[in-house]
Amino acid sequence: MDNTKKTQEVLMNSIFEVFEKMFFVFLEPFDEDIRYDMIVSIGFSGPSQGSIRAYLSKPIASIMVENMLGLDPAEVTDKSMEDCAKESLNMIAGNFLNKLEPKKVYDLSIPAYEKKSGTFPKDSEAALKLIFDSDGQRMAVAMTIDAKK
Amino acid sequence: MSFNVMIVDDSNSMRAVIKKIITISGFQMDKCLEAGNGRQAMELLTGNWVDVIVSDINMPEVNGLELLDQLSKNDMLKEIPVIMITTEGSDERMKEAFARGAKGFIKKPFLPEEIKKVLYQVIGVGQDGQYEEDARSSDELDF
Repeated sequence: MDNTKKTQEVLMNSIFEVFEKMFFVFLEPFDEDIRYDMIVSIGFSGPSQGSIRAYLSKPIASIMVENMLGLDPAEVTDKSMEDCAKESLNMIAGNFLNKLEPKKVYDLSIPAYEKKSGTFPKDSEAALKLIFDSDGQRMAVAMTIDAKK
Repeated sequence: MSFNVMIVDDSNSMRAVIKKIITISGFQMDKCLEAGNGRQAMELLTGNWVDVIVSDINMPEVNGLELLDQLSKNDMLKEIPVIMITTEGSDERMKEAFARGAKGFIKKPFLPEEIKKVLYQVIGVGQDGQYEEDARSSDELDF
């Protein structure tokens, strides 16, 4: 997992695919700091190991639940947003690793959720970071790869 | 003829989506049982019969591959076809799942048609809900 440009492109395509197919949300790259209300993270291990974290605003998480389950905004709960956020990252990670290295086997951890607000800076020090906008709702994805042993 | 389906996934949302897709696909589903992991699935199977299981791989406690192992060791349950529906879609992982007894494999994210197609293939019925063999027989009788 050395070619950062290719890795970034594959990660971005995986995010687009998951959001379009499962949540009917169309994302566009964005280049500003964003506010988030929750963080989900997932670890991967195999030929390389590391983690992927997604920073989501509450409105985008709510839209994901509404679109995926066909619910009205009033029916969306914190629990359903947590569940959708975790499942989205699970799909992104699996899709990304499979596209990047289809012949290699990676194990994924169970996604973890943290209800935490903050600002994701566009100049974050993560090895790989992507920020998105969808009709004014924002999210960011950051990936870190552990140093080789 | 209708079929009992079990959906095994640790995500409530994903179980709801799969159930909805199966329902709207026109698949003749009678009962739909849901489990959050392989352990819960095995518990439910002690008192319920299902015709097909749709299972995730990456789950806490007992994952989807371990569930395949447990089913294959049980004479009463080993014939139930299992479709893996998972984010872990590498060729090797797919081979591993088939070697451990899976009958179908769907990668997440998926399109609704993919679930319907694999479900019909695995359970051996045509889109009209008839077993493929039955359908052939009635065709042959149609002069």
